[in-house]
Amino acid sequence: MKIAILYGTETGNAEMLAEDIAAHLADHEVEVTNLSDFAPDAFDADNFYILVTSTYGDGDLPASAIPFGEKMADAQPDLSSITFAVFGMGDSEYPETYNFGGKRLEELMTSAGAQQVGERITHDASGSDMPEDLALPWAEDVVRQMEARREEAA
Amino acid sequence: MMPSIAIVGAGPSGCYTAQALGKALPEACIDIIDRLPVPYGLIRYGVAPDHQGTKAVTRQFERLFERGGVGFFGNVALGRDIALADLRAQYDAVVLATGLSQDRALGIEGEDLPGVIGAGRITRYWNDHPDTENDAIGLGRKAVIIGNGNVAIDLVRILAKVDGEFEGSDLGGHHLNGFRNASVESIDIIGRSPAGVAKFDPVMLRELAKLTDARIKVVSAAGEGKVVEALAAIDGHDPQDAQKTITFRFGWTPTRLAGEQQLQEAHFTATDGSGETLVLPCDSLLTAIGFAGSEDVPSPEASEDGFIEPGLYATGWFRRGPRGTIPENRADAQAVAARIAADLASVRSARPGRDGLAQLVPHATDYHGWQRIDAAERTDCPADRCRIKIRGRNQMLDLARQKGMQ
Repeated sequence: MKIAILYGTETGNAEMLAEDIAAHLADHEVEVTNLSDFAPDAFDADNFYILVTSTYGDGDLPASAIPFGEKMADAQPDLSSITFAVFGMGDSEYPETYNFGGKRLEELMTSAGAQQVGERITHDASGSDMPEDLALPWAEDVVRQMEARREEAA
Repeated sequence: MMPSIAIVGAGPSGCYTAQALGKALPEACIDIIDRLPVPYGLIRYGVAPDHQGTKAVTRQFERLFERGGVGFFGNVALGRDIALADLRAQYDAVVLATGLSQDRALGIEGEDLPGVIGAGRITRYWNDHPDTENDAIGLGRKAVIIGNGNVAIDLVRILAKVDGEFEGSDLGGHHLNGFRNASVESIDIIGRSPAGVAKFDPVMLRELAKLTDARIKVVSAAGEGKVVEALAAIDGHDPQDAQKTITFRFGWTPTRLAGEQQLQEAHFTATDGSGETLVLPCDSLLTAIGFAGSEDVPSPEASEDGFIEPGLYATGWFRRGPRGTIPENRADAQAVAARIAADLASVRSARPGRDGLAQLVPHATDYHGWQRIDAAERTDCPADRCRIKIRGRNQMLDLARQKGMQ
């Protein structure tokens, strides 16, 4: 399966996690791209998109995802043929804005009609788990769900 | 031969520079030098002990040393253990990323009184920096904090928290005892600017609404915007039986600190020119008005991408002054790394690099030494702490060199 991992990062933590997920899914054809280098018109229905993003500032998208967020809001593309999953990173020290970044990307994608696979989950920087301990099993699971979908459709 | 690059300073700017260089010049040999036997600089000693989520960025840096082939030379101070010229003779490029650690002075009368403490000094103290090994900083009952930025908020929060609120942090128990003895009752945070232009991050202000033992009062938060909204949201926070009071004040310029042998009062005049004055009785005054370089290491003239002269670069706060958060320094480090990669593209290296440095600084400690310190700090700590830092430099060195107890 062709998998495109898109990440939004500010400190580099989400970038590192995106690379870890890519390495873990190496049996597939995986490409990792910073959201700062990705425009909504580049979405391709052949890909399964895994979005990895942190949260920054007052519950905002991280810097590298902000232009993408703006373009999505402006262009309102039709993404009904696109499938995606979202993994968020947050810090529960800031409960009022905890994981707003992941939530925001999810909203942008679903309101453009894209189909979400699996549940969005969030890693808590103030928790005791390592991000990859949560993200790698989650990534396997959403990829399995996506494969099942494609088999059903075939 | 592959190019060799030495980075001076293992804080976030130095580590981000190594990370970006590793991507831009995968064949290069990269070493990071620090005056302490432990890496991570401001992440370890500047970020507040109860903000472990922010400190999690070190997981990226661990990879540099564990998988990326980056070398760590700890316990090596530039100027003391090795001259810059000698270091430069070993490497094709040297990057200065030593940050800024001196507290900026207020420049007013009474600043030398006992009880006046810079934010950098007290933050290093709370974070158990080896330079504070012999310090015991008392704060008394009334503390005043001068500053309008996130460092000032860190100070407010740490002073306002009680025992249980440090769960999961790496704050040493001896500091809590210090807080108990001091039992700070009032915390005034005061700045020159009106609230609307204060540099607080709203999210840091909102975090104060979680405090369990401090009520919050905001006086004259004029203006508009996210900071004023966040201040309005926390104003009136009043947990049951709170023992402490936090008061935010805006628009006051400090003019004079007064006291006999010990700070007793801080004097202010209104910044708006109205001539109004304010006197706050206090036992301690913490200044959080920015950082400066030390006189022995003045910041150099460097271009926007960190170039000083062929083979010498600067990055992070050391280059551009004490502005910008950790991620902004990441962007800065990436720009410097791109410049170095371009400059070294045509360089045929004939410098000794790592082996040459190792001969010059035989007393240096390495990354394995840090891993032993790290393991000891995480293992030997109570259940409600994620680590307790080792404060003594000699104890660090013993562990790093695998002498003494494990």
